[in-house]
Amino acid sequence: MLKIENLHAEIDGKEILKGLSLEVNAGEIHAIMGPNGAGKSTLGYVLGGRPGYEVTAGSVTFNGEDLLDKEPHERAAAGVFLGFQYPVEIPGVSNVQFLRESLNAQRASRGEKPLSGAEFLKIARAQADALGLQQDMLKRPVNVGFSGGEKKRNEMVQMGIIDPAFAILDETDSGLDIDALRIVGDGINRIMRQPTKAVLLITHYQRLLDYVQPDRVHVLADGRITRSGGPELAHELERQGYAEAAA
Amino acid sequence: MTLDLPSTREEAWRWADLGGIAAAAALGAITRPDAQFLDLPGAKLLFVDGVLDDAASELHRVRVGPLTPGEHALGKRATTGWSLHLDEQAVAHPVQVVHVATGAENHLAAEIVLGADTSAQVVETFVGAGWSNRNTRIRLGKAARLMRAVRMTQAAGFVSLRDEAELGEGASLVGTMLAAGDHGVRIDAAITLAGEGGYAEYGGALLTRDRLRQECAVRVRHAQPNGQSHQLWRAVAADQSQASLAAAVEVARHAQKTDGEQSLRGLLLHRTATVNLKPELEIFADDVKCAHGATVGELDRRALFYMESRGIPAARAKALLTRAFVADAIDRIGDETVREAFAADADAWLESAL
Repeated sequence: MLKIENLHAEIDGKEILKGLSLEVNAGEIHAIMGPNGAGKSTLGYVLGGRPGYEVTAGSVTFNGEDLLDKEPHERAAAGVFLGFQYPVEIPGVSNVQFLRESLNAQRASRGEKPLSGAEFLKIARAQADALGLQQDMLKRPVNVGFSGGEKKRNEMVQMGIIDPAFAILDETDSGLDIDALRIVGDGINRIMRQPTKAVLLITHYQRLLDYVQPDRVHVLADGRITRSGGPELAHELERQGYAEAAA
Repeated sequence: MTLDLPSTREEAWRWADLGGIAAAAALGAITRPDAQFLDLPGAKLLFVDGVLDDAASELHRVRVGPLTPGEHALGKRATTGWSLHLDEQAVAHPVQVVHVATGAENHLAAEIVLGADTSAQVVETFVGAGWSNRNTRIRLGKAARLMRAVRMTQAAGFVSLRDEAELGEGASLVGTMLAAGDHGVRIDAAITLAGEGGYAEYGGALLTRDRLRQECAVRVRHAQPNGQSHQLWRAVAADQSQASLAAAVEVARHAQKTDGEQSLRGLLLHRTATVNLKPELEIFADDVKCAHGATVGELDRRALFYMESRGIPAARAKALLTRAFVADAIDRIGDETVREAFAADADAWLESAL
């Protein structure tokens, strides 16, 4: 589904990704773990197409198509969802308006009919309920005045509404207490654990992996994948720390 | 052609586009454009080049005829116009005024005099091309309330508004302006809270592009204690345009407990555009609260990417963020029909500018 080959990327002339290769197949959940500064978030942003991140070599294909050639909104329409480590506050734009615009823009680029306000609200309410986000937060401006945990739940509500084929979730566990971690973990399993879908979970700690069982775990250090293994690798990293496990 | 206007060397006129006014006044005749009234009850006045179109108008309580010209450089030009006088405790239906310009210059005065405990709503719309110059005098009696909304959507030329308002005890004026056309603008206003406990909300949004120049130059005087004023202006400048916001609050020595707020914010859609902001406070009383904020910036790049990553194309994301930026200036309009018309004007402008 997603194939990254020898990816090199830099920001402000500084090389962050230094030859990263990774393949994720449909039906799989992969975890990317690694120390701070290893390039985990950069990988997410490069895949999402954030301006300022320059790819200097390598390739990324999604379902056989060149992903890097697409604009950010085209990547979304192709089925890629980027869950932000720091979801952005947008004063003056309500969650409902933002999500309906998002979903309908994606539907339009796939040649599907736009959803009416009522059809959309039904989906949005169901997702908010499933993730324990209060209904009135749907009407509030996007992420404005939300706690860290509420912002992360809101990311998952968005993912549930958009229903992507592939999700890159960047530190989705940070800012969550234990209850919220379980709810968010359940949400990821419910929305994304399907034979036609795949997930790249970017995380510093093992704790989210107690709720979302990865099929593969990779260690990202100094801009490359230095080790790959099964779920047991996450426990090993937790016990031994990155320095030793990455070596 | 001589305009007989002050020079831009005078501080109150430093950002005025005198060349833009002269060019607008010299515009050739155009075919009369269609003008639509909003779906509101009450008086409907259609002025074409400052002349009432009787057949298309319904006057109700409004009178049309000679009016004393003002002394202001802009205001002195109009000698006829419309007037609304309400006696005590009357509540009028809304008054809608549509100003159609078909080239050259036109001048029109208006007089709104509300007696004690009265309430009125006025909605004005500008369409067409040319220099449309208006002089509006407002006098509000004790506890009178006026809601006035002005939408400027000419296809070319210049719209200049000179507003002079005097608010009596406990009177309330809410004025909202929107410039969302392809023309220059000067909003020149002097508002005096002449009675105790007056309330003035006067603000709006200027949306400007190409090489146009739009400005507001507003002065609110608190002459008596316990008054409140809010001047909330938003300016959005694209291309090589220039938007300027000059808002002054003056608090007289005995006007204690005055609460004056100024919020001036500019948004540059392109780095070739200019926004000038000038908040001005002249406070002679010692027990007052005058909050003022002035900022100029660009659209939040992180928010843009966040929206794009959810599937919203860049141009639409910019339009949504810009719309949100001007929202607090036009969402203050109480009447839903009017508010929606203003929002639609702003949306139409954004769709074509971005």
